[in-house]
This record gives sequence, structure tokens and C-alpha cells, in this order.
Amino acid sequence: MNAPATLRLARSSLRAHRRRFLGTFAAVLLGVAFLTGTLVMGDTLRASFDSMFTGATRGTDAVVRSATTVTAAGEAQGTRGPVDAALAERLARVPGVAAAAPRIEGAGQLLAADGTPVGGKGPPTLAGNWIEDDALNPYRLAEGREPTAPGEAVVNRGAAKAAGLTVGDTTVLRTPDPVKVTVVGLATFGGADGMGQVTWTGLTRADAERYLTARPGEATSIAVRAGPGVSQDELVAALTPALPDGVEAITGQRAAEENTEMVSGRFLDLFTTFLLVFSGVAVLVSVFTIHNTFAVLVAQRTRENALLRALGAARRQVVTGTLAEALAVGLLASLSGLLAGIGVAAGLQALFPAVGFPFPEGDLVVAGTSLALPLGVGLAVCAGSALLPAVRAGRTAPLAALRETDVDGSGTSRRRALTGSALLATAVGTVLAGVLGTPSLWLAATGAALAVAAFVVLGPVAASLAVRMLGRPLRGANRGLARRNALRSPGRTAATATALMVGVAVVTLFTVFGASLKATMDRTVDRSFAGDVAIGAPSFGAGGSGLSPRLAPAVAALPEVDTAVGLGRGVAEVDGRGRALTVTDPVALARTLDLGEVRGSLTGLGTDGLAVAADEAADNGLAPGRTAELTFTDGSRRTFTVRAVYERSDLAGDYLVTREAWAPHRTQDADRLVAVSFAEGVGAEDGKAAVTEVADRYGHPEVQTRDEYAAASAGGIDMMLTLVYALLALAVLIALLGIANTLTLSVHERTRELGLLRAVGQTRAQLRAMVRWESVLVAAFGTVGGLVLGGFLGWVLVRATDGSGDSALAFAVPAVRLAAVALVGLMAGAVAAWRPARRAARLEILRAIATE
Amino acid sequence: MTTHAPLPAARVVDAVKVYGRGDTEVRALDGVSVDFPAGRFTAVMGPSGSGKSTLMHCAAGLDTLTSGAALVGDTDLSTLDDRRLTLLRRDRIGFVFQAFNLLPTLTVAENITLPLDLAGHAVDRRRFDRLVDTVGLRDRLHHRPSELSGGQQQRVAVARAFAGDPDVVFADEPTGNLDSRSGEEVLRLLGRTVRDTGRTVVMVTHDPVAAAHADEVIFLADGRLVDRMTGPTADRVLDRMKAFDTGTGPGAGHPAAPALSRGGAT
Repeated sequence: MNAPATLRLARSSLRAHRRRFLGTFAAVLLGVAFLTGTLVMGDTLRASFDSMFTGATRGTDAVVRSATTVTAAGEAQGTRGPVDAALAERLARVPGVAAAAPRIEGAGQLLAADGTPVGGKGPPTLAGNWIEDDALNPYRLAEGREPTAPGEAVVNRGAAKAAGLTVGDTTVLRTPDPVKVTVVGLATFGGADGMGQVTWTGLTRADAERYLTARPGEATSIAVRAGPGVSQDELVAALTPALPDGVEAITGQRAAEENTEMVSGRFLDLFTTFLLVFSGVAVLVSVFTIHNTFAVLVAQRTRENALLRALGAARRQVVTGTLAEALAVGLLASLSGLLAGIGVAAGLQALFPAVGFPFPEGDLVVAGTSLALPLGVGLAVCAGSALLPAVRAGRTAPLAALRETDVDGSGTSRRRALTGSALLATAVGTVLAGVLGTPSLWLAATGAALAVAAFVVLGPVAASLAVRMLGRPLRGANRGLARRNALRSPGRTAATATALMVGVAVVTLFTVFGASLKATMDRTVDRSFAGDVAIGAPSFGAGGSGLSPRLAPAVAALPEVDTAVGLGRGVAEVDGRGRALTVTDPVALARTLDLGEVRGSLTGLGTDGLAVAADEAADNGLAPGRTAELTFTDGSRRTFTVRAVYERSDLAGDYLVTREAWAPHRTQDADRLVAVSFAEGVGAEDGKAAVTEVADRYGHPEVQTRDEYAAASAGGIDMMLTLVYALLALAVLIALLGIANTLTLSVHERTRELGLLRAVGQTRAQLRAMVRWESVLVAAFGTVGGLVLGGFLGWVLVRATDGSGDSALAFAVPAVRLAAVALVGLMAGAVAAWRPARRAARLEILRAIATE
Repeated sequence: MTTHAPLPAARVVDAVKVYGRGDTEVRALDGVSVDFPAGRFTAVMGPSGSGKSTLMHCAAGLDTLTSGAALVGDTDLSTLDDRRLTLLRRDRIGFVFQAFNLLPTLTVAENITLPLDLAGHAVDRRRFDRLVDTVGLRDRLHHRPSELSGGQQQRVAVARAFAGDPDVVFADEPTGNLDSRSGEEVLRLLGRTVRDTGRTVVMVTHDPVAAAHADEVIFLADGRLVDRMTGPTADRVLDRMKAFDTGTGPGAGHPAAPALSRGGAT
């Protein structure tokens, strides 16, 4: 009835047992901090991208561009057709226009002084024309002068720093044709060293037209500045009548918004979701940790609660008291977590570039929701996790005050075993239904969630069995004692281990999935790459420039080389659906790539012939002899005839067209890959050396053997895994705190036992070892459970990911990596025991014996 | 007349133990010297607060003296660090406490061999069997302590105390939590073990009936040794104890108390 009395009790209990809440406090703090950090980070990135794009178009009042874009399936950004550069001169004369300048922009990757490419790990590597109108050019000269003669270039200061270039230096710009440029000036962007991590090289307009467009006289867009007193909307209205068909004008503001939307819509949302998933994992792990702490506390306090009940406390008062404690801890920890989270955001800003995820800099943006949401989650998690223990506390019979409470039969009930087994069977059944036959991601995901639930329910039942098995190799008195201590309360052991299990399961899931992707890549290269070496210019995201289209013919001319074929990238709408085209010599391609069974003929595709991959052909009703309507980015529309259908598309792509067919519609030319096979009798070393020598003249792309090519293709996966591991480290840390916390509570509970052990001759070192081994056993249980669960989930994910036959993922279990995960889990257990073991060893024997 | 065995199994010399400081200072032991002869069953008696438990704890290496010396055999405990002290307790001393003597996770057999297991010593099956038969627990070896009665638990503790063939066994109120019949069994067990196998037992008790099972009783009051009695009977011990209650004068006031004390250290 008397709420203040209940709260007073809760407060005094908190004060008395401050140490016992340390684990809970830390778990909530870390979870909340991660969540806050993610949200703040997301807002900060969004804001800095926003200001970046606004800055890029600040002086531009209108952008005139082609109205045609073609977006290939799975692409983030469509390819837009060019406009006539001469249009700029005409537009400049339109009333209300102060200035109009063609903007020519294309891929251009600088090579550093040592020949290595600069950037290309996500943000774009761009080159463009140096626009003389100051308002239309977002870049400002910080040093040197603007480019005036062919081969002169201005480089943004950030890129110059990264490349180790200064004014007067000469280097190569891959456009992708290598262009020798002399740096004549360094530029800044909006006062900073660059537009985020984007590298930008400014050339003369003539150079830009020559190297960055397919044909001279083309421009990417035309930037227009309004005369005095003309608004952006008025300007667009004035421009529109003067535009030819297929060309549109938008306001500068709209252009900036489109850019921001593209980045935040496509990339940032994905990225924030990705981080939120990991905060979710951390919070989930916290829930187990907190729940366990309160469960143990309530068990230890049975007598105290029973006494309260005997003295007349209502059931509700006991529940309220326990919940009040949880909320107080939650509130304090959440508030600290908010502060820490802002620190985490700052830390992440530093972490991401370190693992190869460069991000624009900017001040932290702390929005209200970024604080309110984590605070709410922190409190909810605390109260929610403590709810069951609190209710259990309320059920304490007053008589329990008089009973001894040493035997704990928790967790091994028959009902639990049956429920868990039924859940597990349902989970496996659902998963199998989801992955066999036609893969259904939805069924598989439901099954996976059920499997997690089944593992949690079965934990206590499995704990005794597992600890007994895992502990079997442990010999000696202390380890035997450790094993029995881990066994004495299966429910507690399971709950403690569950937190670690969840963490390890997610780590394992990603490890298995990553390894499977790699194995798939290996298999693809193994099966489809029939050549000896591959030439590529590895890059991620929007970076990189590809390979010079002149490289393949140059390599093919070598006496050591039988065939060298470039695979260029084109894009078109095929019967109205945006598709990527592979621009190549199909006949030569068939000699270096294994295309599988080919129906029809790859020879003589000519300018209106098409080869289509079998799966794609089947999906779209294409077959040899049928026709397809192709629409290109220049707006032209051509009818192509399907001449061949080939089986394997993993390296070749879905559509093959000849260079002749692509040439009239081409954009900036680049090959993504050059596949090379050596002439008869040429050794691997000799061949590679000869190819490398030629490649070096075309901007230093990498010449890779088949294995290297497979490894390079999988390089992004390792980067991703590194990031995932870094993010999951937090969840594992929380799980460890949970183990440490439970151990501390257990040690406290067993004070008398420890005293007795010390009295009859257990040395401090032995006692520490005993606690440590108990912790290792609990950790081993969690780790093994996590490996099994994660492996299973990984298998489900691999199987459920769409694709069948050739494009299906290969399932791989990376034994070494998983062994490393297991080892880390076990060592983590030992580390978690460090403090509890020390505390236990410091016990004074006499006080321990005398403890009630 | 009793004679002292040549070398005492354990002894304390001028033992002083002070708890707290200044106003709260308590002298739990105030210059006690006493030998615990080998092969004898010695009971330490005294009223609450007389320092009898402190004496036992210090003599057994569970606590350290403020000044003076505690020796087991000829090993001065104050020269040992925590590790070696622990090893000494493990290898040369046995313990029977009033309660909570056994680890709940271990079986009876495992509890008995615990000190040996901690030491990594092999268990001598013949000795073990004899011990188990002596305490009469053969049919309980694979039970857990929670499945035993209080008396049975204390008998397990006695077996554990003797399992390692120790120089001396210290028992701290071993019958304090037992009904008289079970207590009697445990005491007889202790006495029989001393007389049959020549073991040394030092037992702290406040129960004259328990003390009567010993070969000799020493009496403590206010941290001092005030009397010794050989061949005690329950009545004589009770009478002696009553003297503390009524005439506390001699023991408390006068350290020498020559009429009553023969002095521990000769």
C-alpha cells in the first residue's frame, strides 16, 4: 500500500548492493550508448551529406540535363545521357540567364606518386572540366592556377594530400585511359579539402571532352546561373522553351535534393539500418544479462522478501520494489549511455575510415529522437528484463524465510524440455520448408527466429548435459569443483551463457555467410574463368575508373598471349527493363570464359545482335531468333535479334553486345575486366610478367592470377566482416559482463563454501582457477551453442538467398575462423572470471566461515 | 599424574590477539601459552568471549596472532606466507566446524577426500575404507550432504578431517548444532580415533558433556589460560564452569591466578 516505503526499500537495497548492479548498469549503458551512437551518427552523416551537396550546387540556379536515364536492375544510380555542350552558348543568351557552362564529369582516378590508385573505396573518384565561372564552379583554387593547356590539372587538396602530390608534380589520371597530367593547382571545396572523401581532378574543357566523354561536344549537364532578381523557378521556366527534345531543366535546389536523397535514401538508410540491427543484437544480449542479474538477486533475496511478506508487505509491493530498483538502474545507466553514445558517434567517425569506410566530416548532430528513443529503450529493457524476476519475488511465500534455500532445480523441468523440443522441431520444419524446393526468405526467417527461441528455451535443459560433456576432459579437484559449480544451477548457467550464445551466433552467422560468399566467388572463377590471368582495377562503391579499352588490344598483341578480351559495361532498357550490358568481343570471350552450353552462335552478332544468358532469357521469353527492343541513354531505340543463349552468366553478365553495336550509344568507355589466356607453351610467370609490363603503361591496373582474381573479388567481403566483427565486439563484451556479474553474485552466494575450501587447504591460486574454470565452462557452453545456432542460421541464410542452379550460393564452413571464434569465446570466459576470481580469492577465511 | 608427550603436536607461546584499535580495542587473547600434546584429545573450554575460538583459529593457521607464536610441530606459522600456510592446513591439519562442513556439490566420498584431491595426492584405498567404516558411512558414500542428517554430516566432516593423516585435528564446537544423541556419536568417534590410532584432536566447546570426552580440558577466561583439568567428567567441568559465572574474580582480575593455573608453558 505504502509506495514510499517500497521505494525506500528499493533505494536502500540499491545502495547496499551497488556492486551487484555494476553488470546491469554496464550492459544497459553499452546498449544505450550503441543505439544513441548509431542514431547520432546517422543524423550527422545525413547532415554532412546534405551540406556537401548544397555546397556543390550553391551558385548553380538551374541544371540542364538529358531527360533520359537508364537504371539497370540492382543499380543505385541510373546512367543519364549526355547533352550537347554547345547548348550552353545558346542558353547563355536566354533572358534571365547570367551565365551557362557545360559541366563534363566522368570517372577519373589519380595515381599517387608511387603508382598506386588514390581513393576508390566507396566515394566516387571523379574528373571534370574546370569551370571558369566562379559561382558555377564549387571548387576554389587554394594554390597554383587553373588548367589552361592540355595535360594540366587542378586536384582537390584532400586527394593531393592522399596522393602525395604538390603543384608542379606529374602523375597519371585513369579516365580509364591513362592521361599524363601535371598538377598546376590545388582546389578546396566549400573551404574544406574536398567534397567529403570524393577525389576530383579538374581539366581543361578540351581535355575533359576528350577523355571523359564518348564524343567531343558532349557534356554531362549544363550549369546555369540566374541574372539578378531572377528566382530559380523563374529561371527554369525561362530555360524550358529553349531546350531541345529529351532535355530538361531543374532548379539548383532540386539537383542538390536529388543528390542528398540518392545518398541518404540508398546508402545511409541501409547503413543506419545495418547499425541498428547490431544495436538490436547488443540490446538483446543486454536483456539476457539483466534478466539473469535480477533472477539471481531475487533468488538470493528470497529470505529477505519472505520476511517482508511475513511482516505484511503485499505481493504488489515486493514486485514494485524490485521493478523500482530495475528502473533506477535503467535510468541512471541510460543517461550515462546517452552521453557515452555521443562519444561512440565521435568514435565511429574515427573507426570507419580506419576500416576503409571513409565518411565526410562534420559536427555531430544530436536530434531529440536520438536521445528519447535510446532512453526509452534503456528503461523498457531494464523494466522488461526485471519483470519476470520481480513477479517471482512477489510470489515468495512468507514461509520461505524459514527454509534453507540451497537446492536449485531450475530449468530442467520436463515441460521446458518438451516445449523446447517442439519449438526446435517446428523451427527446423519451417526452415526446411523455406529452403528446400522454392526458397522462401519469409518462411526461412520465421524458422530462424523460432530456432533462436528454441535455443533459449532449451538452454537450461541443455546446460547440464553440455557442461557435463564439455567438462569431462577437466581433471583435478579444482576443475571438478568448477564443473559442479557450473552445474548446480542449470537455469542460471543457461541464462548467463545465452547472452554469449546470441553474440557468438551472430558472429558465426556472418562468418559462415561471408565464407559462403567467398566460396561462391571461388567457384565462379573456378568454373567460369578459363583464362590464365585477369586484369582489373579493384574498387568499391562509386569509386574507381575501370580499365582503358585500349588495354585489351595491346595485351592481345603480345606474342605470349593467345586471347585478351575486355569486358566493358553498357546499359540499356531491354524491352522496357533496365539492364546492364556486357560490351565485348563475344567470340574471344568464349575462349577465356566458360559460358557453358551455347545455343545459337556467338559469331557475327554485328551491330544488331545480342547474346542472352539462359536464366535471363527464360525469364523474359527470349530465344535465338527472337527480337528485343533496346533503348539507350541517348534516347535512341534499336531492335536487336537474339543470336545466342549461353548458360553461365556469373562473370559474363546477362547480355552480350559487340563494341560495334554499343559504339553509337556509348558513354565514357571503360572495361571492368580484361580476361587473358596465354599462348601455347607460355609459362605462368613469363606470361604474367609480359602482361604486367603492358598493363603498367595503361595506368597500373592489377594483373591477377586466377586465385588472386578470386581473392580480389572477395576482398569486399573481408572488409565487411571486419566491420561486422567490430560491431559485434560490443555484444560479446556485454555478454562477458553478464558472465562476470553472475559469477560475482555466485561467489558472494558461496562465501561460506569458499571459506571452507580455503580452510581445508585450497590455495588462492587454486580457488582462482576454480572460478576461472567455471567461467570458461559457462562460456564454452555459450560459445558452442552460438556456433551451432549461428552455423544453422548461416546455412538457412545461404540457402534462402535467392538464386538456384548456377547462381545459388555455395555453403562453406570456415573451420579455421570458427575455431578462432571458439577460442575467443573460451578466452573471453577466462577474462570474465578475472575480477570475480580475484575477489573470491581475497576472502578472509574466518569471515567467510562466519558468514550467515 | 599426567605426563607431557615429548613433542607437542601444536602449541601457542605468549599468544596475543588484539582486535580493533583505541577505544574499540579487544584483547581476545592476552598472553596464552599452551601445548597440545600429540596423541591426546584436548578440549578448550570457556564462557562466550573467553577467546577459545580465537585460540583455535590462530593455532590452526586460520588467523594470525598479534604477537607471540603459534606452532604446528616445530613449524612457526608466522613465518609462512598465505600459500604455504594453506598447504600446511591442507597437509598437516584437519578441521571440523560447527556447521557447514561439507561442499553441497560433492558426494560424501568426495568431501572426505577433498584435502587429498586438492593436494593432488592419490587416495590410499585401505586407509579410506578403514576411515569410512570407523565413521559408519559406507552406505552413504555416494549421497550428497543435503541427503544426510546433521549427525551424519558431522561424521563425514570428522572423516574428512582425518583423511589426510594430519598432525592435529581442530574441531570447533563440532556438536553445537546436533541433538545430544548425534553429538554423543560424533564425540565418541573423535575420542575413539585418538585412542585407537594415536591422533591428536583439539576441540573447542562450551558443553561440559562434550568436554568430558577429552583427555584433558583447558579453561580460558578473558583471553587467558585459567585452568587445566585432566580426566574430566561432565560434573567436574560443569562445576569449574560455574565458578566462572559466580566468581569471575580470580580469572578476570588477576592474570597470574596462581592457584588455578599451572601455566601452559613450562
